Amino acid sequence: MLAVLFTGSAGLALLRSFDPASSRLFPPCPLHYFTGLYCPGCGSLRALHQLLLGNWRTAWAMNPLTCVLLPFLMYGLASELWLFVKGRPLPQIFIPGKWIYALCAVIVLFGILRNLPFYPFDLLAPGAMLRL
Amino acid sequence: MFCPQCGASNADTAAVCAQCGRNLQPGAPAVPAQPGVIIPPGAPAVNIPNYLVFAILTTVLCCLPAGIPAIVYAAQVNSKLQMGDIAGAQASSNNAKMWCWVAFGIGLASIGIWILLALVGVIGSLHQH
Repeated sequence: MLAVLFTGSAGLALLRSFDPASSRLFPPCPLHYFTGLYCPGCGSLRALHQLLLGNWRTAWAMNPLTCVLLPFLMYGLASELWLFVKGRPLPQIFIPGKWIYALCAVIVLFGILRNLPFYPFDLLAPGAMLRL
Repeated sequence: MFCPQCGASNADTAAVCAQCGRNLQPGAPAVPAQPGVIIPPGAPAVNIPNYLVFAILTTVLCCLPAGIPAIVYAAQVNSKLQMGDIAGAQASSNNAKMWCWVAFGIGLASIGIWILLALVGVIGSLHQH
């Protein structure tokens, strides 16, 4: 757990200092590298980098899905940390299974739509909204 | 007091957790959910992890579709919990966990290959000079 915390902090520090868009430090998405397609996660590292710098508009343009899901993910990770430190998780809301299926559909749909080459879906490609 | 099962905050005098229904009286065993017992939506009586956070993390950060089955299994865990199918939920939970690790492993492997290719590229460019 401590190793995870250390790695995570080091990763965030690296991510804050180096922009994945211009640095070769971070690996490219293999799917995009080989097929040219965007997956639902494309741009998430760039989005996190911009968020760490406080540029939420640029982050949103890179990957709106990541920005929307981030509060949930951060709470979940905080809960895991809480479980480790205090021995119990943070208060949890039970999410009905249907909602998770819906989320899954949203993620897949987002992955498909952002590859469509026409307006308005082309705006979902990583960074496309910056050109507005 | 806090529920030892779901972490929800309850009145100190509460007999059962308002959120998950666990017995809060000291010494009393946790009430296992049984098929046939009607569980109100949003209140499973046992805590089976669905690994949803990790499933989403691997989907969004590992950039590969292997996280999608993890999310589907996470949804199955909660659906089966709602139906009172504890054994089924546990099986889905194990699958969700496995797919999280698969997605994470593929992500890690692709990073490793990337580093390897980068190193080979660096060595190659050194030879040209």
